[in-house]
Amino acid sequence: MIKHFTCVICPLGCEIDVEEENGGIIALDGSRCARGKEFVIQELKEPLRVLTTTVRIKGAEFNMLPVRTDKPIPKRLIPKIMEDIAKIEVNAPVKMYDTIIENIVGTGINLIATRSM
Amino acid sequence: MKADVTVIGGGPGGLVSALFAKRNGAKKVLILEREDELGGILKQCIHNGFGLELFKKDLTGPEYAERLIDDINKEGVDYMLDTMAIHLSNDRTITAVNSKYGVFNIESKSIVLAMGCRERARGNIVIPGTRPAGIYTAGVAQRFINIDGYLPGKEVVILGSGDIGLIMARRLTLEGAKVKGVYEIMNHPGGLKRNIVQCLNDFDIPLYLSHTVIEIEGKDRVTGVVVAKVDGKMQPIEGTEEFIKCDTLLLSVGLIPENELSKEASIKISSNTKGPVTTEIMETSVPGIFSSGNVSVVFDLVDYVAETGVIAGKNAAEFAKENKENKKFINIFPGKNVGILFPQRYSYRDDLIIFLRAGKWVEKPVNIEVKPLNIRMKRLYARPNEMIRIKVLKDKLLSVKGDITVSIKEVEE
Repeated sequence: MIKHFTCVICPLGCEIDVEEENGGIIALDGSRCARGKEFVIQELKEPLRVLTTTVRIKGAEFNMLPVRTDKPIPKRLIPKIMEDIAKIEVNAPVKMYDTIIENIVGTGINLIATRSM
Repeated sequence: MKADVTVIGGGPGGLVSALFAKRNGAKKVLILEREDELGGILKQCIHNGFGLELFKKDLTGPEYAERLIDDINKEGVDYMLDTMAIHLSNDRTITAVNSKYGVFNIESKSIVLAMGCRERARGNIVIPGTRPAGIYTAGVAQRFINIDGYLPGKEVVILGSGDIGLIMARRLTLEGAKVKGVYEIMNHPGGLKRNIVQCLNDFDIPLYLSHTVIEIEGKDRVTGVVVAKVDGKMQPIEGTEEFIKCDTLLLSVGLIPENELSKEASIKISSNTKGPVTTEIMETSVPGIFSSGNVSVVFDLVDYVAETGVIAGKNAAEFAKENKENKKFINIFPGKNVGILFPQRYSYRDDLIIFLRAGKWVEKPVNIEVKPLNIRMKRLYARPNEMIRIKVLKDKLLSVKGDITVSIKEVEE
Protein backbone atom coordinates (compact mmCIF):
# COMPACT_ATOMS: atom_id res chain seq x y z
CA MET A 1 0.00 0.00 0.00
CA ILE A 2 1.35 3.44 -0.98
CA LYS A 3 1.09 6.24 1.56
CA HIS A 4 1.75 9.89 0.90
CA PHE A 5 3.49 12.36 3.23
CA THR A 6 4.61 15.97 3.14
CA CYS A 7 7.79 16.32 5.14
CA VAL A 8 7.65 19.18 7.68
CA ILE A 9 11.25 19.09 8.88
CA CYS A 10 12.35 22.02 6.70
CA PRO A 11 10.60 24.56 4.45
CA LEU A 12 11.29 22.53 1.27
CA GLY A 13 8.29 20.32 2.13
CA CYS A 14 9.26 17.23 0.13
CA GLU A 15 6.32 15.17 -1.11
CA ILE A 16 7.25 11.63 -0.13
CA ASP A 17 5.57 8.41 -1.30
CA VAL A 18 6.14 5.28 0.76
CA GLU A 19 5.26 1.73 -0.12
CA GLU A 20 4.64 -0.47 2.89
CA GLU A 21 4.33 -4.22 3.16
CA ASN A 22 3.78 -6.17 6.40
CA GLY A 23 4.75 -3.12 8.45
CA GLY A 24 8.08 -2.68 6.65
CA ILE A 25 9.03 -0.02 4.11
CA ILE A 26 9.84 -1.51 0.74
CA ALA A 27 10.10 1.71 -1.31
CA LEU A 28 10.44 5.41 -0.51
CA ASP A 29 10.43 8.15 -3.12
CA GLY A 30 10.54 11.95 -3.16
CA SER A 31 12.71 12.72 -0.13
CA ARG A 32 15.64 15.01 -0.87
CA CYS A 33 17.54 14.14 2.31
CA ALA A 34 17.94 11.55 5.07
CA ARG A 35 15.88 13.59 7.51
CA GLY A 36 12.86 13.15 5.26
CA LYS A 37 13.24 9.41 5.50
CA GLU A 38 13.47 9.55 9.30
CA PHE A 39 10.38 11.76 9.38
CA VAL A 40 8.36 9.29 7.33
CA ILE A 41 9.50 6.32 9.43
CA GLN A 42 8.39 8.16 12.58
CA GLU A 43 5.09 9.22 10.94
CA LEU A 44 4.36 5.58 10.08
CA LYS A 45 5.23 4.36 13.53
CA GLU A 46 3.76 7.13 15.70
CA PRO A 47 3.30 10.75 14.55
CA LEU A 48 4.77 13.13 17.13
CA ARG A 49 3.96 16.82 17.64
CA VAL A 50 4.82 19.53 20.16
CA LEU A 51 1.48 20.64 21.66
CA THR A 52 1.15 24.36 22.37
CA THR A 53 -1.94 25.65 24.13
CA THR A 54 -3.08 27.70 27.15
CA VAL A 55 -4.12 27.07 30.77
CA ARG A 56 -6.38 29.28 32.90
CA ILE A 57 -4.42 31.38 35.38
CA LYS A 58 -5.65 33.26 38.47
CA GLY A 59 -4.13 36.39 39.98
CA ALA A 60 -2.30 37.38 36.79
CA GLU A 61 -2.93 40.34 34.51
CA PHE A 62 -4.28 38.06 31.77
CA ASN A 63 -6.68 35.10 31.89
CA MET A 64 -4.54 32.58 30.02
CA LEU A 65 -1.02 31.23 30.54
CA PRO A 66 0.69 29.86 27.40
CA VAL A 67 2.09 26.32 27.78
CA ARG A 68 3.69 23.58 25.69
CA THR A 69 4.86 20.01 26.05
CA ASP A 70 8.60 19.89 26.78
CA LYS A 71 9.04 17.20 24.09
CA PRO A 72 7.00 16.06 21.07
CA ILE A 73 4.09 13.85 22.13
CA PRO A 74 2.08 11.24 20.20
CA LYS A 75 -0.46 13.07 18.05
CA ARG A 76 -3.24 10.64 18.99
CA LEU A 77 -3.03 11.76 22.65
CA ILE A 78 -3.67 15.43 21.88
CA PRO A 79 -7.50 15.33 22.39
CA LYS A 80 -7.09 13.57 25.76
CA ILE A 81 -4.40 16.03 26.87
CA MET A 82 -6.58 18.99 25.85
CA GLU A 83 -9.38 17.56 28.03
CA ASP A 84 -7.06 17.34 31.04
CA ILE A 85 -5.72 20.83 30.47
CA ALA A 86 -9.24 22.29 30.28
CA LYS A 87 -9.90 21.10 33.85
CA ILE A 88 -7.00 22.83 35.55
CA GLU A 89 -6.33 26.34 36.73
CA VAL A 90 -3.00 27.63 38.02
CA ASN A 91 -2.18 30.50 40.34
CA ALA A 92 0.22 33.34 39.57
CA PRO A 93 3.15 33.86 39.90
CA VAL A 94 4.51 31.38 37.35
CA LYS A 95 8.02 31.45 35.89
CA MET A 96 8.85 30.55 32.30
CA TYR A 97 9.62 26.80 32.07
CA ASP A 98 7.87 25.97 35.37
CA THR A 99 6.21 22.54 35.15
CA ILE A 100 2.42 22.91 35.00
CA ILE A 101 1.47 19.23 34.63
CA GLU A 102 4.01 16.50 35.30
CA ASN A 103 4.04 13.25 33.30
CA ILE A 104 1.00 14.20 31.23
CA VAL A 105 -1.35 11.23 30.58
CA GLY A 106 1.49 8.92 31.57
CA THR A 107 3.78 9.87 28.68
CA GLY A 108 6.71 10.89 30.90
CA ILE A 109 6.49 14.27 29.20
CA ASN A 110 5.75 17.49 31.11
CA LEU A 111 3.58 20.46 30.27
CA ILE A 112 5.61 23.63 30.89
CA ALA A 113 4.84 27.37 30.99
CA THR A 114 6.22 29.36 28.07
CA ARG A 115 6.20 32.73 29.84
CA SER A 116 6.43 34.24 33.30
CA MET A 117 3.23 35.77 34.59
CA MET B 1 13.08 64.74 27.14
CA LYS B 2 16.24 63.69 25.31
CA ALA B 3 17.58 60.30 24.13
CA ASP B 4 20.41 58.98 21.99
CA VAL B 5 18.29 56.33 20.26
CA THR B 6 14.49 56.19 20.51
CA VAL B 7 12.73 53.09 19.24
CA ILE B 8 9.05 53.40 18.35
CA GLY B 9 7.42 50.04 19.12
CA GLY B 10 8.32 47.24 21.55
CA GLY B 11 7.71 44.16 19.41
CA PRO B 12 10.55 41.91 18.19
CA GLY B 13 11.85 44.49 15.68
CA GLY B 14 11.96 47.21 18.32
CA LEU B 15 13.39 45.06 21.12
CA VAL B 16 16.26 43.78 18.99
CA SER B 17 17.01 47.29 17.65
CA ALA B 18 17.10 48.75 21.15
CA LEU B 19 19.30 45.95 22.39
CA PHE B 20 21.82 46.36 19.58
CA ALA B 21 21.78 50.17 19.83
CA LYS B 22 22.77 49.74 23.48
CA ARG B 23 25.37 47.06 22.73
CA ASN B 24 26.92 49.38 20.14
CA GLY B 25 27.50 52.20 22.58
CA ALA B 26 24.34 54.32 22.63
CA LYS B 27 23.93 55.59 26.21
CA LYS B 28 20.25 56.43 26.54
CA VAL B 29 18.12 54.05 24.52
CA LEU B 30 14.36 54.46 24.97
CA ILE B 31 11.55 52.23 23.68
CA LEU B 32 8.02 53.66 23.34
CA GLU B 33 5.34 50.96 23.55
CA ARG B 34 1.61 51.64 23.30
CA GLU B 35 0.55 48.41 25.03
CA ASP B 36 0.97 47.60 28.72
CA GLU B 37 3.89 45.24 28.18
CA LEU B 38 6.73 44.65 25.74
CA GLY B 39 6.79 41.80 23.22
CA GLY B 40 4.31 42.84 20.55
CA ILE B 41 2.55 40.12 18.60
CA LEU B 42 4.91 37.40 19.95
CA LYS B 43 2.91 37.30 23.19
CA GLN B 44 -0.14 35.88 21.45
CA CYS B 45 1.76 33.60 19.02
CA ILE B 46 1.88 30.72 21.49
CA HIS B 47 2.80 28.13 18.83
CA ASN B 48 6.37 26.94 18.28
CA GLY B 49 8.61 27.32 15.24
CA PHE B 50 10.26 30.62 16.18
CA GLY B 51 13.94 31.21 16.67
CA LEU B 52 15.38 28.35 14.62
CA GLU B 53 17.84 30.74 12.95
CA LEU B 54 18.60 33.31 15.69
CA PHE B 55 18.54 31.18 18.86
CA LYS B 56 19.10 27.80 17.11
CA LYS B 57 16.14 26.57 19.13
CA ASP B 58 12.50 25.82 18.43
CA LEU B 59 10.77 28.41 20.61
CA THR B 60 7.21 29.65 21.04
CA GLY B 61 6.45 33.36 20.61
CA PRO B 62 6.22 34.12 24.35
CA GLU B 63 9.57 32.41 25.00
CA TYR B 64 11.20 34.41 22.20
CA ALA B 65 9.77 37.64 23.66
CA GLU B 66 10.78 36.84 27.25
CA ARG B 67 14.38 36.14 26.22
CA LEU B 68 14.58 39.52 24.49
CA ILE B 69 12.85 41.35 27.38
CA ASP B 70 15.25 39.78 29.90
CA ASP B 71 18.17 41.14 27.86
CA ILE B 72 16.52 44.58 27.64
CA ASN B 73 16.28 44.69 31.43
CA LYS B 74 19.79 43.30 31.99
CA GLU B 75 21.43 45.82 29.69
CA GLY B 76 19.63 48.89 30.97
CA VAL B 77 17.48 49.85 28.01
CA ASP B 78 14.73 52.28 29.10
CA TYR B 79 11.15 51.82 28.04
CA MET B 80 7.83 53.56 28.52
CA LEU B 81 4.68 51.42 28.39
CA ASP B 82 1.13 52.64 27.68
CA THR B 83 2.80 55.34 25.65
CA MET B 84 1.69 56.25 22.15
CA ALA B 85 3.87 58.12 19.67
CA ILE B 86 1.47 60.50 17.95
CA HIS B 87 3.78 62.62 15.80
CA LEU B 88 7.19 62.34 14.20
CA SER B 89 9.08 65.15 12.50
CA ASN B 90 12.10 64.86 10.23
CA ASP B 91 14.31 66.73 12.73
CA ARG B 92 14.00 63.58 14.88
CA THR B 93 11.53 64.93 17.41
CA ILE B 94 8.80 62.56 18.55
CA THR B 95 5.58 63.71 20.19
CA ALA B 96 4.15 61.06 22.50
CA VAL B 97 1.33 60.80 24.99
CA ASN B 98 0.80 58.81 28.19
CA SER B 99 -1.02 59.24 31.48
CA LYS B 100 2.11 60.21 33.43
CA TYR B 101 3.55 63.04 31.31
CA GLY B 102 0.53 63.97 29.18
CA VAL B 103 1.65 65.12 25.73
CA PHE B 104 5.44 65.47 25.60
CA ASN B 105 8.34 65.71 23.15
CA ILE B 106 11.41 63.52 22.85
CA GLU B 107 14.41 64.93 21.02
CA SER B 108 16.45 61.98 19.84
CA LYS B 109 19.82 61.86 18.11
CA SER B 110 18.54 58.93 16.05
CA ILE B 111 15.29 56.99 15.77
CA VAL B 112 14.31 53.44 14.87
CA LEU B 113 10.82 52.92 13.46
CA ALA B 114 9.47 49.57 14.67
CA MET B 115 5.71 49.99 14.46
CA GLY B 116 5.20 46.64 12.78
CA CYS B 117 2.24 45.89 10.57
CA ARG B 118 -1.51 45.62 10.79
CA GLU B 119 -3.98 43.08 9.46
CA ARG B 120 -6.08 43.71 6.40
CA ALA B 121 -9.75 43.57 7.37
CA ARG B 122 -13.14 43.21 5.71
CA GLY B 123 -13.05 46.81 4.49
CA ASN B 124 -9.81 46.18 2.59
CA ILE B 125 -11.22 43.29 0.59
CA VAL B 126 -14.83 44.51 0.32
CA ILE B 127 -17.04 41.48 1.02
CA PRO B 128 -20.70 42.33 0.40
CA GLY B 129 -23.46 41.42 2.82
CA THR B 130 -24.78 42.35 6.24
CA ARG B 131 -22.71 43.57 9.17
CA PRO B 132 -23.34 41.08 11.96
CA ALA B 133 -21.11 40.16 14.90
CA GLY B 134 -18.77 37.21 14.33
CA ILE B 135 -16.35 38.60 11.73
CA TYR B 136 -12.80 38.84 13.02
CA THR B 137 -9.31 39.13 11.64
CA ALA B 138 -7.27 36.03 12.49
CA GLY B 139 -4.98 38.01 14.79
CA VAL B 140 -7.86 39.38 16.84
CA ALA B 141 -9.28 35.87 17.27
CA GLN B 142 -5.80 34.72 18.28
CA ARG B 143 -5.66 37.36 21.01
CA PHE B 144 -9.18 36.42 22.25
CA ILE B 145 -8.25 32.75 22.58
CA ASN B 146 -4.63 32.84 23.68
CA ILE B 147 -4.58 35.83 26.05
CA ASP B 148 -8.15 36.63 27.06
CA GLY B 149 -9.47 33.04 27.06
CA TYR B 150 -12.59 33.52 24.93
CA LEU B 151 -13.59 31.30 22.01
CA PRO B 152 -14.81 33.63 19.23
CA GLY B 153 -17.26 31.09 17.78
CA LYS B 154 -18.24 27.45 17.36
CA GLU B 155 -18.54 26.96 13.59
CA VAL B 156 -15.87 28.82 11.72
CA VAL B 157 -15.02 29.59 8.10
CA ILE B 158 -11.55 30.99 7.44
CA LEU B 159 -10.91 33.19 4.42
CA GLY B 160 -7.27 33.32 3.36
CA SER B 161 -4.57 30.72 3.87
CA GLY B 162 -1.86 32.95 5.32
CA ASP B 163 0.12 31.46 8.20
CA ILE B 164 -1.97 33.14 10.91
CA GLY B 165 -5.16 31.75 9.37
CA LEU B 166 -3.71 28.23 9.23
CA ILE B 167 -2.45 28.42 12.80
CA MET B 168 -5.86 29.66 13.97
CA ALA B 169 -7.59 26.77 12.18
CA ARG B 170 -5.62 24.37 14.39
CA ARG B 171 -6.00 26.48 17.51
CA LEU B 172 -9.80 26.76 17.16
CA THR B 173 -10.06 23.01 16.54
CA LEU B 174 -8.00 22.21 19.64
CA GLU B 175 -10.29 24.44 21.69
CA GLY B 176 -13.40 22.64 20.45
CA ALA B 177 -14.65 24.77 17.57
CA LYS B 178 -15.51 23.23 14.20
CA VAL B 179 -13.49 24.75 11.35
CA LYS B 180 -15.50 24.09 8.20
CA GLY B 181 -12.79 25.02 5.76
CA VAL B 182 -10.08 27.44 4.72
CA TYR B 183 -10.86 29.28 1.47
CA GLU B 184 -8.05 30.79 -0.59
CA ILE B 185 -8.66 33.02 -3.62
CA MET B 186 -5.25 32.20 -5.17
CA ASN B 187 -4.56 28.86 -6.80
CA HIS B 188 -1.83 28.11 -4.25
CA PRO B 189 -1.67 28.38 -0.45
CA GLY B 190 -0.55 31.63 1.17
CA GLY B 191 1.15 30.07 4.18
CA LEU B 192 4.13 27.76 4.60
CA LYS B 193 3.77 24.15 3.53
CA ARG B 194 4.55 22.80 6.97
CA ASN B 195 1.64 24.80 8.35
CA ILE B 196 -0.70 23.26 5.77
CA VAL B 197 0.40 19.83 7.00
CA GLN B 198 0.55 20.46 10.75
CA CYS B 199 -2.45 22.79 11.05
CA LEU B 200 -4.89 21.55 8.40
CA ASN B 201 -4.04 17.98 7.36
CA ASP B 202 -3.41 16.85 10.96
CA PHE B 203 -6.98 17.86 11.85
CA ASP B 204 -8.69 16.99 8.55
CA ILE B 205 -9.57 20.62 7.84
CA PRO B 206 -10.23 21.11 4.12
CA LEU B 207 -8.40 23.77 2.08
CA TYR B 208 -10.25 25.12 -0.97
CA LEU B 209 -7.93 26.88 -3.43
CA SER B 210 -9.32 29.31 -6.06
CA HIS B 211 -12.31 29.99 -3.81
CA THR B 212 -13.51 33.09 -2.01
CA VAL B 213 -16.32 34.36 0.19
CA ILE B 214 -18.72 36.46 -1.88
CA GLU B 215 -21.33 37.23 0.75
CA ILE B 216 -21.82 37.31 4.50
CA GLU B 217 -25.28 36.50 5.90
CA GLY B 218 -26.83 37.10 9.33
CA LYS B 219 -28.55 39.95 11.12
CA ASP B 220 -27.17 40.11 14.67
CA ARG B 221 -24.69 37.24 14.38
CA VAL B 222 -23.15 35.62 11.29
CA THR B 223 -25.42 32.74 10.18
CA GLY B 224 -23.36 31.72 7.18
CA VAL B 225 -21.30 32.77 4.19
CA VAL B 226 -21.63 32.19 0.47
CA VAL B 227 -18.46 30.88 -1.14
CA ALA B 228 -17.70 30.51 -4.84
CA LYS B 229 -14.96 29.28 -7.13
CA VAL B 230 -12.97 31.98 -8.91
CA ASP B 231 -11.54 32.08 -12.43
CA GLY B 232 -7.99 32.95 -13.51
CA LYS B 233 -8.74 36.64 -12.98
CA MET B 234 -9.97 35.92 -9.44
CA GLN B 235 -13.58 36.67 -10.41
CA PRO B 236 -16.34 34.46 -8.91
CA ILE B 237 -17.70 31.89 -11.39
CA GLU B 238 -21.48 31.96 -11.71
CA GLY B 239 -23.18 28.73 -10.71
CA THR B 240 -20.46 27.66 -8.25
CA GLU B 241 -21.96 29.52 -5.26
CA GLU B 242 -22.44 27.47 -2.12
CA PHE B 243 -23.91 28.49 1.26
CA ILE B 244 -21.82 27.42 4.25
CA LYS B 245 -23.53 27.61 7.63
CA CYS B 246 -21.27 29.14 10.28
CA ASP B 247 -21.32 31.62 13.17
CA THR B 248 -17.87 33.06 12.64
CA LEU B 249 -15.75 34.24 9.71
CA LEU B 250 -12.03 34.73 10.24
CA LEU B 251 -10.07 36.84 7.79
CA SER B 252 -6.42 36.03 7.14
CA VAL B 253 -5.99 38.20 4.09
CA GLY B 254 -2.63 39.83 4.47
CA LEU B 255 -0.73 42.43 6.46
CA ILE B 256 0.20 46.05 5.75
CA PRO B 257 3.18 47.89 7.31
CA GLU B 258 1.97 50.62 9.65
CA ASN B 259 3.54 53.88 8.47
CA GLU B 260 1.33 56.79 9.50
CA LEU B 261 4.17 58.25 11.59
CA SER B 262 6.73 57.71 8.82
CA LYS B 263 4.57 59.69 6.41
CA GLU B 264 4.35 62.61 8.85
CA ALA B 265 8.13 62.88 8.81
CA SER B 266 8.04 62.90 4.96
CA ILE B 267 9.85 59.56 4.84
CA LYS B 268 9.70 58.10 1.35
CA ILE B 269 7.42 55.04 1.24
CA SER B 270 7.90 52.24 -1.30
CA SER B 271 4.83 51.31 -3.34
CA ASN B 272 6.32 47.80 -3.60
CA THR B 273 6.75 46.98 0.11
CA LYS B 274 4.42 49.68 1.57
CA GLY B 275 7.25 50.46 4.01
CA PRO B 276 10.02 53.10 4.07
CA VAL B 277 12.53 53.08 1.24
CA THR B 278 15.60 51.83 3.06
CA THR B 279 19.32 51.25 2.52
CA GLU B 280 21.27 48.13 3.54
CA ILE B 281 21.93 49.74 6.95
CA MET B 282 18.13 50.18 7.38
CA GLU B 283 18.31 53.95 7.06
CA THR B 284 15.19 55.58 5.61
CA SER B 285 15.20 58.56 3.23
CA VAL B 286 15.44 60.88 6.29
CA PRO B 287 18.96 60.87 7.79
CA GLY B 288 19.11 59.40 11.30
CA ILE B 289 15.74 57.65 11.05
CA PHE B 290 16.08 53.90 10.63
CA SER B 291 13.45 51.17 10.32
CA SER B 292 13.30 47.63 11.61
CA GLY B 293 11.08 44.60 11.07
CA ASN B 294 7.61 44.46 9.58
CA VAL B 295 7.20 48.23 9.37
CA SER B 296 9.62 48.00 6.40
CA VAL B 297 8.27 44.92 4.65
CA VAL B 298 6.16 42.01 5.89
CA PHE B 299 8.61 39.20 6.69
CA ASP B 300 7.85 35.46 6.94
CA LEU B 301 10.01 34.80 9.97
CA VAL B 302 10.58 36.68 13.20
CA ASP B 303 14.26 35.81 12.80
CA TYR B 304 14.35 37.98 9.67
CA VAL B 305 12.69 40.76 11.67
CA ALA B 306 15.40 40.36 14.30
CA GLU B 307 18.13 40.42 11.65
CA THR B 308 16.96 43.83 10.39
CA GLY B 309 16.69 44.95 14.02
CA VAL B 310 20.35 44.13 14.66
CA ILE B 311 21.38 46.24 11.67
CA ALA B 312 19.03 49.15 12.46
CA GLY B 313 20.07 49.24 16.13
CA LYS B 314 23.78 49.20 15.40
CA ASN B 315 23.57 51.93 12.78
CA ALA B 316 21.22 54.08 14.86
CA ALA B 317 23.83 53.97 17.65
CA GLU B 318 26.54 54.99 15.21
CA PHE B 319 24.46 57.85 13.86
CA ALA B 320 23.77 59.05 17.40
CA LYS B 321 27.53 59.24 17.96
CA GLU B 322 28.72 60.66 14.63
CA ASN B 323 25.70 62.19 12.88
CA LYS B 324 27.12 61.07 9.56
CA GLU B 325 24.78 61.44 6.60
CA ASN B 326 24.79 58.92 3.78
CA LYS B 327 24.70 60.89 0.58
CA LYS B 328 25.85 58.30 -1.93
CA PHE B 329 23.61 55.42 -2.86
CA ILE B 330 22.43 53.32 -5.79
CA ASN B 331 18.96 51.84 -6.30
CA ILE B 332 17.99 48.17 -6.18
CA PHE B 333 15.14 47.26 -8.52
CA PRO B 334 12.93 44.17 -8.80
CA GLY B 335 13.49 42.46 -12.17
CA LYS B 336 11.81 39.48 -13.81
CA ASN B 337 9.42 37.53 -11.56
CA VAL B 338 10.37 39.44 -8.41
CA GLY B 339 7.26 40.58 -6.52
CA ILE B 340 8.51 42.10 -3.28
CA LEU B 341 12.08 43.37 -2.91
CA PHE B 342 13.84 44.82 0.13
CA PRO B 343 15.89 46.99 0.68
CA GLN B 344 15.55 49.49 -2.15
CA ARG B 345 18.94 51.25 -1.86
CA TYR B 346 22.60 50.41 -1.34
CA SER B 347 24.85 53.00 0.34
CA TYR B 348 28.26 51.25 0.34
CA ARG B 349 28.36 50.95 4.13
CA ASP B 350 27.89 47.24 4.79
CA ASP B 351 27.11 43.84 3.31
CA LEU B 352 23.79 43.76 1.49
CA ILE B 353 21.11 41.35 2.67
CA ILE B 354 18.34 41.17 0.07
CA PHE B 355 14.89 39.80 0.91
CA LEU B 356 12.63 39.00 -2.00
CA ARG B 357 9.45 37.21 -2.94
CA ALA B 358 8.72 35.62 -6.27
CA GLY B 359 5.91 37.26 -8.24
CA LYS B 360 4.67 33.99 -9.75
CA TRP B 361 4.83 30.41 -8.55
CA VAL B 362 7.62 28.39 -10.26
CA GLU B 363 7.80 24.74 -9.24
CA LYS B 364 11.11 24.00 -11.00
CA PRO B 365 14.74 25.08 -10.60
CA VAL B 366 15.39 28.83 -10.85
CA ASN B 367 18.39 31.13 -10.70
CA ILE B 368 18.31 34.29 -8.66
CA GLU B 369 20.40 36.81 -10.57
CA VAL B 370 21.87 40.01 -9.16
CA LYS B 371 22.97 42.35 -11.98
CA PRO B 372 25.39 43.94 -12.79
CA LEU B 373 27.17 41.58 -10.39
CA ASN B 374 27.86 38.17 -11.72
CA ILE B 375 25.77 36.52 -9.02
CA ARG B 376 23.58 33.58 -9.83
CA MET B 377 22.07 31.47 -7.06
CA LYS B 378 20.22 28.28 -7.81
CA ARG B 379 17.03 27.35 -5.96
CA LEU B 380 14.82 24.31 -6.44
CA TYR B 381 11.69 26.43 -6.81
CA ALA B 382 10.34 29.96 -6.35
CA ARG B 383 7.19 30.21 -4.27
CA PRO B 384 5.65 33.61 -3.44
CA ASN B 385 4.72 32.39 0.06
CA GLU B 386 8.36 31.76 1.00
CA MET B 387 10.63 34.76 1.26
CA ILE B 388 14.10 34.35 -0.23
CA ARG B 389 17.11 35.81 1.57
CA ILE B 390 20.45 36.36 -0.11
CA LYS B 391 23.55 38.07 1.19
CA VAL B 392 26.04 39.95 -1.00
CA LEU B 393 29.35 40.94 0.57
CA LYS B 394 30.40 44.59 0.65
CA ASP B 395 33.72 43.78 -1.12
CA LYS B 396 31.82 42.68 -4.19
CA LEU B 397 29.61 45.76 -4.19
CA LEU B 398 32.18 48.54 -3.76
CA SER B 399 32.98 48.65 -7.47
CA VAL B 400 29.33 48.71 -8.61
CA LYS B 401 28.33 52.11 -10.00
CA GLY B 402 24.97 51.68 -11.71
CA ASP B 403 21.73 50.41 -10.22
CA ILE B 404 21.24 46.80 -9.13
CA THR B 405 18.49 44.55 -10.51
CA VAL B 406 17.41 41.27 -8.93
CA SER B 407 15.53 38.71 -11.04
CA ILE B 408 14.27 35.14 -10.79
CA LYS B 409 14.79 33.16 -13.98
CA GLU B 410 13.91 29.58 -14.76
CA VAL B 411 16.97 27.41 -15.35
CA GLU B 412 17.14 26.51 -19.04
CA GLU B 413 17.46 22.79 -19.54
